[in-house]
Amino acid sequence: MKKGMIKATGPFERVVHWCLALSCLFLCITGMGMMYHSLNFIGTIFGGMGNLKVIHNYTGIFFGVSLLFAIVMWWKEAGLFSFPEDGQWFAAAGGYLWHVDNMPEVGKYNPGQKMFFLAVALFGIAMVVSGLIMWFPLGYSVEMVRWMFALHALGYVVIFAFFFIHLYLVTIGAPGSAPAMFSGWVTRGWVKVQHPKWLKEMEKDGTLVVYGEGKASAKKRC
Amino acid sequence: MKHELVKLIDLSRCTACRGCQIACKQWNELPASKTNNFGSYQNPPDLQSNTWTLIRFQEHVDSNGKLRWLFRKDGCMHCTDAGCVKVCPTGALYHTEFGSVSMHPEKCIGCKECIYACPFGVPKYDAVTNKISKCDLCYTRLAANQPPACVLSCPTGTLAIGTRDEMVAKAHARVKELGGDASVYGDQFVDGTHVIYVLTEKPGVYDKLPESPKVPLSIIVWKDVLKPAGLLAAGGVVAGAFLHYITHGPKTPDEETTSEGGNKL
Repeated sequence: MKKGMIKATGPFERVVHWCLALSCLFLCITGMGMMYHSLNFIGTIFGGMGNLKVIHNYTGIFFGVSLLFAIVMWWKEAGLFSFPEDGQWFAAAGGYLWHVDNMPEVGKYNPGQKMFFLAVALFGIAMVVSGLIMWFPLGYSVEMVRWMFALHALGYVVIFAFFFIHLYLVTIGAPGSAPAMFSGWVTRGWVKVQHPKWLKEMEKDGTLVVYGEGKASAKKRC
Repeated sequence: MKHELVKLIDLSRCTACRGCQIACKQWNELPASKTNNFGSYQNPPDLQSNTWTLIRFQEHVDSNGKLRWLFRKDGCMHCTDAGCVKVCPTGALYHTEFGSVSMHPEKCIGCKECIYACPFGVPKYDAVTNKISKCDLCYTRLAANQPPACVLSCPTGTLAIGTRDEMVAKAHARVKELGGDASVYGDQFVDGTHVIYVLTEKPGVYDKLPESPKVPLSIIVWKDVLKPAGLLAAGGVVAGAFLHYITHGPKTPDEETTSEGGNKL
């Protein structure tokens, strides 16, 4: 690790992120194997469509538990919008689509990230609930079960689309982001561009952790 | 399609002898389950995973105050726009060359989606085999140019099988002959069923017979809207991301940061 890198995430946070992310991706793939006949070959990989269904269902439980951890961990920071700056951010589309001169400074999570978190949290819960009802449908009202299928499909549409936005932005769309979820350390330049308000907050609170320096000395660097 | 076949059930001729119910069990090797008496000759009380056809007994008082005992042979309607085929994730349920809906039991994974997609409540789940089952209009018999077992067994002429045009014409001729509330049921919805009734009463009179059956809206939203939307949305995002990258460009950290992502101090 190079000197001067800034700690963005802790190990527990990263483990929860990857449990959620990988199970979510796996659920998308196995689910699509059941949704589209042309992707039925995904079932073959697991020894048949029956196995695919079983694996999908149990992975769903793992996803549900990961989601619970993720929501408890992130809802305060990523689940609540703060106005007016988040409104300004939306009005400027985050500065991603056209040139914006005076962007409001972004805190730990920008409103786009908050939207992604909320989409995963809300639709994730919907996926777990509707999935469980689809798994054990007998005994529920017919009309409700029918709408659970539709809800499960809607959750897939939203989460799968958001997944690609996430993937783009953490790779080539906003370079320097991905290390936050691998090593946990990001560059100061990246934080300054992406989350300047967060950097200031950490410096003010003395919570900034810089690689190669103690917490106390962090203030001096600015 | 080789040739579309339609089974005609002329309820005005049915005496509820249940020969069809037994013939179905015999030909398809379906054992009986322990049953219960619920105060009706109808037995078993509903379609089951091992009872693919059933005579429903119904006491009905008509508008003139006259008591009528209605019999209806229930079972798969073999829809053209079949909800069960639409939702089946594995292709276990499929349309045969006769237009009927048959099943590959080995492909069924017991997901139960078809149970909820069917407007007639036909597919039934068997917890022992973890599969659903239903009438397949005796596909193996049709393939051998034989009538389904139920049709063969019927002693009163209630059941007949033939080409679509022939059966629809026959049904309408019989309804004309019967007059009154008699009607043809099955040629007008879900793009036409491959089982058609001649009803002696209005459709709404019969138990468990929907007046205007259709693939449920939730199933259409799921399979015809959201299913393609999933790929369109994801594809749109990927295309959008690419466009963003080549037009607007990535949001890069400032000159403080090297391309490797390290820090310049």
